[in-house]
Amino acid sequence: MRGTAVLPHCWLMNAGRATSLADPPVTASRRRILARTRLDFWLDALLLVAFTLAYSLGFTGIAIHEWLGIGLGAILLVHLTLHWDWVIRITGKLLRRDGRERFIWLVNLLLLMSMTLCIASGILISEVALPQLGISLPASFFWRQMHDTTATLTLILVPIHAALRWRWIVGVARRFATWRPGRSR
Amino acid sequence: MKFGRQLAAVVLAVAVIVGLGMLWAHASGGGTGAGRALRQAPPGEVVQRLRQIKTGAIRIRPDDGLHLADTGDLIRTCMIEAALAAVVVMVSAVRRWHRRTRRAART
Repeated sequence: MRGTAVLPHCWLMNAGRATSLADPPVTASRRRILARTRLDFWLDALLLVAFTLAYSLGFTGIAIHEWLGIGLGAILLVHLTLHWDWVIRITGKLLRRDGRERFIWLVNLLLLMSMTLCIASGILISEVALPQLGISLPASFFWRQMHDTTATLTLILVPIHAALRWRWIVGVARRFATWRPGRSR
Repeated sequence: MKFGRQLAAVVLAVAVIVGLGMLWAHASGGGTGAGRALRQAPPGEVVQRLRQIKTGAIRIRPDDGLHLADTGDLIRTCMIEAALAAVVVMVSAVRRWHRRTRRAART
């Protein structure tokens, strides 16, 4: 759910070159967009890595899996909040959009539902994290099944969600690769 | 201020989804753990799995942190994600290439 308004400003990752006479000066608003692009990129990367680790239960063990899942929920809320403008804009103009935008919207909606239910059901069947906090809930086969199903669905939807914006990812990553901290002022 | 309002909207949307999940659980009788699903006998595969755990055929991992030597799960997850992402990128690139060639043919 990446804000399309940010996309045309990916070139701003190089805004530090503004000291050159040929380049436009770096204004406060451009710096804000630059900072926002960086935040989006690293937060998305963090979400992807956290989900990949959380899904690999055999690697993390149950305790890290559960705490990572709870942390993932918090980061997901921030991610959604940062892209809420996009959600409102696209939802409002859904019928007027082309097929690709509608497909992205649908994938994002499914991902929101599956990830939310995955994290919620994970909390409800928690064996380590909640007992550590002094909370114990009765075991439920329904929520265990829900957790397994939504986790698998999320595993399918996460790479699709990311890959649908691959050009933005490649663009920003390329800017990062050529960005020099000394030239950021 | 805007962030706060948007966060509230997001929390509301998430709460609606969780609420719908709770309703589903309630309707199917499995939400609280005391519902219909648990009053029935557990499925055969679950019973078999429990037996395997009891006899030691399936080893339950200790919860003492990362199992760095056991990267099989992690590698499998990464491969599934990479494969799916590659398919989407390829489809997207092919569609883009088609659009470009069509546009070039028109001009």
